[in-house]
Amino acid sequence: MFTGITRALCLLATLLFASCDNDPHPKPLVERGRDGGPPLVRYTYQSEAPRSLDPQEAYDQMSRRVLEPVYDCLLEYHPFKTDPYELIPCMLEAMPERHASADGPVTYLCRLKKGIFFHDDPCFPGGKGREVTAADVRYSWQRIADPKTECPVLSSLWDYVTGLKDAYELTQKNGGKFDYAAPFTALEVVDSHTFKVHLLKPYPQIIYWMAMHFTCPVAREAVEFYDGEKHDGKRRERFKWHPVGTGPFRYVHELSDHDNNFRLVRNERYITTKFPTDGWSPKREAVCRPLAGKQLPILDEVQIRILRETIPAWLLTKQGYLDSFGVSKDAYSSAVTATHELTPELLARGVTLEKDVEVSTFYTSINMDDPLLGKNKKLRQALACAFDAATENEIFFNGVREVAQQIIPPGIAGYRKDYRNPMGFNLARAQQLISEAGYPGGMDPKTGRSLEITMDTSASGADERLLTEFEQKCLEKLGIKVTVIENTFAKKIEKEDKGNFQLSSGTGWGADYPDPENFFMLFYSKNMPPEGKNISRYKNPEFDSLYEKMSTMDDGPDRLAISHKLVDMLNDDCPIFLTNHKAFFSLVQPWAPRTHNNMMLEGGVKYLCLDPTLREKKRAEWNH
Amino acid sequence: MADQSIISKLNQCFEQPSVQNSIVVLGLVIIGSVIWLGSKNEQWRIAFRRFRHDRIGIFAGVVISIYLLIGALEVIRIPTKEGQSESLLKLIINIPQERSYSAPFAKLQLGQESEFAAAQSSGDPMKIQSAERYRVVGTHILGTNALGNDTLVETLRACKTALLLGGVTSVIYIVLGTLFGLAAGYFRRWVDDVITYVYSTLASIPQILLLVAMLLVWGKGLFSIALALGITMWVDLCRLIRGETMRQAERTYVIAARALGQSTWNILIRHLLPNVMHLVLIKFVLGFSGIVLAEAILSYLGVGSPIGTPSWGVMIDGARNEFSREPLVWWNLTAATTALFGLVLSLNLLGDALRRAFDPKRS
Repeated sequence: MFTGITRALCLLATLLFASCDNDPHPKPLVERGRDGGPPLVRYTYQSEAPRSLDPQEAYDQMSRRVLEPVYDCLLEYHPFKTDPYELIPCMLEAMPERHASADGPVTYLCRLKKGIFFHDDPCFPGGKGREVTAADVRYSWQRIADPKTECPVLSSLWDYVTGLKDAYELTQKNGGKFDYAAPFTALEVVDSHTFKVHLLKPYPQIIYWMAMHFTCPVAREAVEFYDGEKHDGKRRERFKWHPVGTGPFRYVHELSDHDNNFRLVRNERYITTKFPTDGWSPKREAVCRPLAGKQLPILDEVQIRILRETIPAWLLTKQGYLDSFGVSKDAYSSAVTATHELTPELLARGVTLEKDVEVSTFYTSINMDDPLLGKNKKLRQALACAFDAATENEIFFNGVREVAQQIIPPGIAGYRKDYRNPMGFNLARAQQLISEAGYPGGMDPKTGRSLEITMDTSASGADERLLTEFEQKCLEKLGIKVTVIENTFAKKIEKEDKGNFQLSSGTGWGADYPDPENFFMLFYSKNMPPEGKNISRYKNPEFDSLYEKMSTMDDGPDRLAISHKLVDMLNDDCPIFLTNHKAFFSLVQPWAPRTHNNMMLEGGVKYLCLDPTLREKKRAEWNH
Repeated sequence: MADQSIISKLNQCFEQPSVQNSIVVLGLVIIGSVIWLGSKNEQWRIAFRRFRHDRIGIFAGVVISIYLLIGALEVIRIPTKEGQSESLLKLIINIPQERSYSAPFAKLQLGQESEFAAAQSSGDPMKIQSAERYRVVGTHILGTNALGNDTLVETLRACKTALLLGGVTSVIYIVLGTLFGLAAGYFRRWVDDVITYVYSTLASIPQILLLVAMLLVWGKGLFSIALALGITMWVDLCRLIRGETMRQAERTYVIAARALGQSTWNILIRHLLPNVMHLVLIKFVLGFSGIVLAEAILSYLGVGSPIGTPSWGVMIDGARNEFSREPLVWWNLTAATTALFGLVLSLNLLGDALRRAFDPKRS
């Protein structure tokens, strides 16, 4: 009896003491770091779960964040060169060699690095990952064309890459079963590590696609094993939840749960990339110098949690359990002061503040097919001049975002830092323009009443509704009447596709790749919705011909001049009016300093480093 | 698709000042005629006499009249410039607009005090010049909201939305409820079966879900809300009237009327309707507060009043973000809740007072 009570008490005490440690993370898988010390484990979070971890299918940011450490691409972005962004080889030995023929078709010759292995996985014989060959690249490009994969960028690529459309259409005709043994003209395997990519016409942007996950090699064994073509009677998760990559980190399927947490451990056999030996920004010298030339990745393990609410993430950050935190609205005033500096409390903790400007532009589209707005350039200009983007930024985004002066966001060749939009906010000018447009004081002389314009939005939540109201009030300063039509998101997209609107508020574009062409195509007349993204239905032969010219040109002064010309044309013609480039603040813990702030990378985890001893010390200090 | 466009057209129509003006005039006419007709009815006259001694009832009535007056001031629009108009309320209380939030009686915009002070002490004329925009132009008793509008004015303007919505919804559900209630109670048999079946079905669906579903299908707009509320609210009234009609139809004056060969229509309108009308009046007053609350709840859920409509629900919804700000923005929530509370409480008190006045057991 007595022993029973003692035992129970002991158990209770153990439980009590166990609960004293409030570390919310599971124990690291790696017990010792490479130098024998404590393992370097990064704890990070994201607000939504990925939709798919199949590199040929995943398109959303949340999926790409988990995919990036697991799958390496053929090329990658240089972590430090962000103005403008620059590509470097990753799985390839060197940048692809271009061979153009006189009559149009272009070929890129690519060589894979030797000695890159897939991660160890039961799908391979003996569970050991085999070496990556050119045939794997061909297989993954075939998957792009396979209708079953539902690759979201197929239609963007098939205009340029030979044979993708044919392969897709042939499969559709044959009942949807893709024949992987059939000849495939897009990608030609030369030898085990060499392949050629064939293009229909010059398309320099193809190299950016080689830095995206859609084109990265996957193992045929893995797809067939997990997607059930070779069943051994056991229940298995699909390939899209069972990534088998070549990247710096291996996905630990047994411990991950694709709704809540992801566990990644260092790939022991990784040889593909090393930390660059120079190029980092001077302020990161102390962090980056000791890492120069080191084999990547630096970290031993990465744990990604899904935290859908921002308050838990903020609290975990304050306790030292997360290594980086994107400052949310709830936390803004306790983290950042009015002058965009850290609060003294955080400064004393050694936390640093980083500002990231996304490669994106937000704007309001004007329907050029609308009989009123499409034909009246002065009226469009008046609307553009009436919108006060700077005040909007100050009231709604704490002044963190950047007021957009041009469709091209910062970091892309052609972005001019000191450029000012001639149709930027200027109310006096706007009023002048609207009278020149034939509506003095916003009055329609035909009816004797205010000019009426409708604005479509899909605002949800109090913040977005206020934002729309702000825009409405700005435009109404012209004396016109703006009626806001609220739609569900799907309904707004449908209206944009059909061209059934006058103004469409809150449209935006995030760069697929850092090339101005990716933004100018939004106004190319052959890019009409629903297939294309020219929501404004902008048709301008001069713009089209310049766009066509620049889209196949190589970077250089001539191309830059065309880019500037196109920006000027858009700002003058106003098929949209610009709002801002999205930006946000991040808090970085003292033990996990940033080495880069490259926004084309989804975190660039392999370049990050960590000081576990400092973390232990700070955590003890903050949680005493 | 077809009815969707009809409803969105009606919604747009509802936004027109002229339509709103005629609704107000119509509302006043209806209230006036009900009181005038009621004064000829013996039962109503006794009730009015009793009501005059009910202090709480009178007080509630006065408060409601103030709300009505403010709402009417907001509805009436006066042309200012050629082709443009402004509501009378805004013309009377002419308070300048600020850039964004400012606290009650503040001299500077919320959260910009330190920046303003820094600019002042820097001595740089350029900085002082640019910091001038943080100064608050007018005096705001209850501060300003995110867009710099005076909170007090916004709160008063929201009376209009509440009253218009309450009025239009009441017309819809009172007509439906009275007609169906009278028909079910008088004709009985299959008419009663059908109506009872319909309202039982409606009553079994959770009201808020039904409202949200209807609003998602029809799209946002004041008329959508009025219609949706009208469709869900007639059930209670119909039940009451059906019961009362059944009771009255058994009474001798109805039997006498039938024996004298009066037409069914005459019996229903001349004899039965006046004798169930007090139920309508009580239900109208009590139901009104329900409508005002429902609008606030729907706005809070994001399917209520359209963007740009002053509404207490929208103000309360916005407070979700305002409460996570530092410094806290409390004045919008406080103003909206107080105004909502005042109207709903007065309506309930008036409703109770009317019920007491009409109660036959008290005589």
